[in-house]
Amino acid sequence: MSIPLLLPDILLLGLGVMILALDLARVKASLVWNVAWMGLIAVLVVLNLIPAGWDRAWFGGNWNLSNFGLLMREFFILSALVTTLLARSNFVRGEEGFGPMRYKPEFLAALIFVTFGAITVVSSKDLLTLFVGLELATIPLYFLVAWNKENAKASEAATKFVLLGSTSTATMLFGMSYLYGFAGSLRFANIGEAVASSPTSPLLWIAVLFLTAGIGFKLTLFPFHSWAPDVYDGASTPITAFLSVSSKATAISFLIIMVYGPLAAIQVQLQPLLILLSAATMTVGNLGAMKQTRLRRFMAWSSIAQAGYILAALTGPAMSARSSVVFYLFTYAFSNYLVFFIASLVSDRREQTFASLTGLSRQKPWLGAALAIGLFSLAGIPPVAGFVGKFMLFGSAAKAGHFAFLIFVGVNTVIGLYCYLQVLKAGWVDTGEEAQEEANKNLRLSFTEGASITLLTLLVLGAGIAPWLGNNIAAVLQYGP
Amino acid sequence: MTLGYCLALAFGLFVIGAYGAMTRKNIVGILISIELMLNAANINFVAFAHFHATDSTSGPIFSAFVIAIAACEMAVALAIVVSMFRRHKNLDIDKLRELHG
Repeated sequence: MSIPLLLPDILLLGLGVMILALDLARVKASLVWNVAWMGLIAVLVVLNLIPAGWDRAWFGGNWNLSNFGLLMREFFILSALVTTLLARSNFVRGEEGFGPMRYKPEFLAALIFVTFGAITVVSSKDLLTLFVGLELATIPLYFLVAWNKENAKASEAATKFVLLGSTSTATMLFGMSYLYGFAGSLRFANIGEAVASSPTSPLLWIAVLFLTAGIGFKLTLFPFHSWAPDVYDGASTPITAFLSVSSKATAISFLIIMVYGPLAAIQVQLQPLLILLSAATMTVGNLGAMKQTRLRRFMAWSSIAQAGYILAALTGPAMSARSSVVFYLFTYAFSNYLVFFIASLVSDRREQTFASLTGLSRQKPWLGAALAIGLFSLAGIPPVAGFVGKFMLFGSAAKAGHFAFLIFVGVNTVIGLYCYLQVLKAGWVDTGEEAQEEANKNLRLSFTEGASITLLTLLVLGAGIAPWLGNNIAAVLQYGP
Repeated sequence: MTLGYCLALAFGLFVIGAYGAMTRKNIVGILISIELMLNAANINFVAFAHFHATDSTSGPIFSAFVIAIAACEMAVALAIVVSMFRRHKNLDIDKLRELHG
């Protein structure tokens, strides 16, 4: 069966508009939520019907569908789907003592538009499309962070986010203007030729530094990471999860598109810069995660460290970097969402801290096991998905021969393991206040939560026990760019 | 008018904007500084298109897009600042200290 290749993109955009239209027609919010998650599943199904192996461009060569783009589309839509499911409880019962949030249809539409922006980034063939996509994937996040207007922390977090985010956008744009001046064109193909013919031009390197600074903010790389803990802590749980998965994946796709596209000729010279950023980011992330007590803040530091690990793959050759990053992003998304589902579950009436996990394994053994699987996967313990993903990431760096760097990365994963075990200790070993145990005993899972946690656990386990999934992604990417 | 003058002007604007964004206490002041940084990039695009580029139409088009996107960004930023002001009753960035660490 052949279907139009642009159908999933158009359907996704249509879904966002349809949700807003349903809201205008005063349809019940719970029905709109059902439309949203069923629609996202439908888009995912349509996307999976497209066979791999395409490399075509539309709209004057500005919109492109490649294998990498196809896999990243699946990733972004899956991420939006899980966030939609995770967000349900925030609109039904609220969290951390705040009442239910309002304006559900607008929230869901904004999520879908962010996803469309991320898809625009992976479809781009020139700087203008890339920039517009990146902004569409960023601006709605500013107000999604501030969604709960009763929460003073959320509005503070959003203010910090929007100020720092706009500054980083301006920095990146300034870099793009120098890149345009250097190459005389916005198209990646022309920029690539210009880079190959004069790889030592100072204008080019100034542009690269500005671009790295701009995207480093979105990816929470070391000197630009300080916003993440504050924003993640202030935002509601589904938005924190979405920020740490989709927004980070958008930034890493941007880097992959730039480093292996127009800047491919200077990738070897970029390697020291990437190694430095990656090593510093993972160290800072792991050290920051050590002394946290609030779960979302801990996950923010953890995601900073994970950004460092993902960046390590970009020091390797194009093929292995692309496939390992795509596979790792999937495993990272599954494990991260699993932990966030449990965090959201225990914080229905309480503060979302390590203490609120106490007694989870005694009162609800299955939830305790799911938490352990999610955390082990994030830390990279062998049988689960995160280990296979990390193995592929570091394998990509090893192909370029950076063995001293890899030893440093290995030490860092051990420090990371210590941090994740602290959360696990709270859930499995600690005997805290009686009230927390009692509250965990009375946890009620809705059907959505139960089904999502079960599925995510199975996916984390499955992707780990069946490493051929990773080989499949490598095989798909082998067809072409 | 040469390319050098235009680039110097744009770089000067960018540095003034970046300095303002880092040192201003008032949030509206920071937003104005960010506008300066964005417009510095616009001047770069137009100048490169005029003096330098092989593809001289895409630069001005890019800056038109930037103007539109900057307007969206500022609309969202101001909405967030208004909602923040309702909770915290001040516009001083240094007084936003509930979240730190």
